Amino acid sequence: MKNYLKLVNFEFNRVVKLFTILLGITLVVQMAGVIVQSREYLGRANEKMNEDLMSKAQFLTDYGQISFAHIVRSVWFLGPIALCAAGVAFYIFLVWYRDWVGKNTFIYRLLMLPTTRLNIFFAKISNILIMTLGLVAFQLILLPFEALVLKWMVPDDFRNDMGVKETITSIPELTIIIPNSFVEFVLYYGAGLLAVAILFTAILMERSFKWKGIIAGVLYSAMAILVLISPVLLQELVLNGFFYPMELFVIEIVMGIIVLAVSIWMSGFLLKKKVTV
Amino acid sequence: MIEVKEVEKKFGRKKILRGVSFTAKKGEITCLIGINGVGKTTILNAIMALTPVQKGEILLDGEPIKEKTFEKISFIPDALTMLPNMTIEKAMEFMNDFYTCWNMERARELLGFFRLHKDDRIASLSKGNTAKVNLLLGLALDVDYILMDEPFSGIDMFSREEIANVFTSHLIENRGVIITTHEVSDIEHLIDKVVLLDDGVVTKEFDAEKAREDDGMSVIDVMREVYQG
Repeated sequence: MKNYLKLVNFEFNRVVKLFTILLGITLVVQMAGVIVQSREYLGRANEKMNEDLMSKAQFLTDYGQISFAHIVRSVWFLGPIALCAAGVAFYIFLVWYRDWVGKNTFIYRLLMLPTTRLNIFFAKISNILIMTLGLVAFQLILLPFEALVLKWMVPDDFRNDMGVKETITSIPELTIIIPNSFVEFVLYYGAGLLAVAILFTAILMERSFKWKGIIAGVLYSAMAILVLISPVLLQELVLNGFFYPMELFVIEIVMGIIVLAVSIWMSGFLLKKKVTV
Repeated sequence: MIEVKEVEKKFGRKKILRGVSFTAKKGEITCLIGINGVGKTTILNAIMALTPVQKGEILLDGEPIKEKTFEKISFIPDALTMLPNMTIEKAMEFMNDFYTCWNMERARELLGFFRLHKDDRIASLSKGNTAKVNLLLGLALDVDYILMDEPFSGIDMFSREEIANVFTSHLIENRGVIITTHEVSDIEHLIDKVVLLDDGVVTKEFDAEKAREDDGMSVIDVMREVYQG
């Protein structure tokens, strides 16, 4: 356990620069988005009211009030989130290959540590989870401040105030990264964790058997997905809705746990017996 | 004792090791010699469970290699095993964090021995100093056995001399050493046992001291005899 925690800390320190950059980009771009969009809206209001002599009431009827949801839907807001997602996705691949590839092959050291090799797997997957949750937590902290900046910039009459929760629920894409309930959180993040575990297993297959491993990895991933969706397929195609939704939900959870357990076992086996430097 | 028993290893269809067997005892320097591609590094990797073998068995003090074994054996590979952006000091701290057998006092002694600076970044080191850092990280572990893969490869004469001095120092006293090298002349007089490899098999295994005293032959003489007929 101690070695696992040390490895997690070590892995996090290796990615801290990328993590900080992503946080920085999110902060700067989203804040800039709030300012730019507020100014654009106010600029349009000024133009219509001062140059076209439109009344305030008429302007509000024609163009509506600005809300935080309006900003959240823009590329200024969703762009950094997409960038963070891409950064994490890129890191999921990088986290293994950077230890093998290059002049200094750190994988030698990792595999020679006097601890179970599965700790390497757990440390890397934990680090990805920490990074993801860290980015989401930062976004949650940022949201009220962004809403505050909007309040400061746009007069009350032109603004439709929405709470952070209301804003998030108004955009379905956002509820994936910031779920509405604990059950959704467990489901979404559990599915993400499972996907990373399957991918790690596929990467370790490639690291163990080279090009044959790529085929094995693709087949393993396809099998894992098939196992995961098999209850839904059976329900729809064979059983004609035999299970209640809650039963199907529980079966899916069990399938997910099975696939996760197999991926962990397989990764441990590969790291211990098959992987080559 | 390290026991390598009938080890076979294939890369694709090519058999690199074809039933290799030898032993290396504690307190002895065993030298694996052979031309490039003969499987010397593969043997060391296999001993450290860094590459799987298809057949055979490798035992350390009668037990198969497992994670706790890495507190008893240290491997100094040809490639540097630390992150390039680390300083030497950070690399030493990393080792101290994970190995209970890490001897910080000895590590500091080795820093002085090799005239290295703890604040130097690994990426900025010359080939010779990189080899020295590798040795430092391997030798500062209080282990019974040390494996060294080509410690003299591609480095200048002065660095070679410094590294060769390790073999006459207390740093490897009472430890079992397996070394692979092309530069046999640097440490020829220190070698206790020689394992000659050719085409994935052990062609000759002999006591270097005995060959010197009984037959009047140096290790290089025996190598010539075996490889050149």
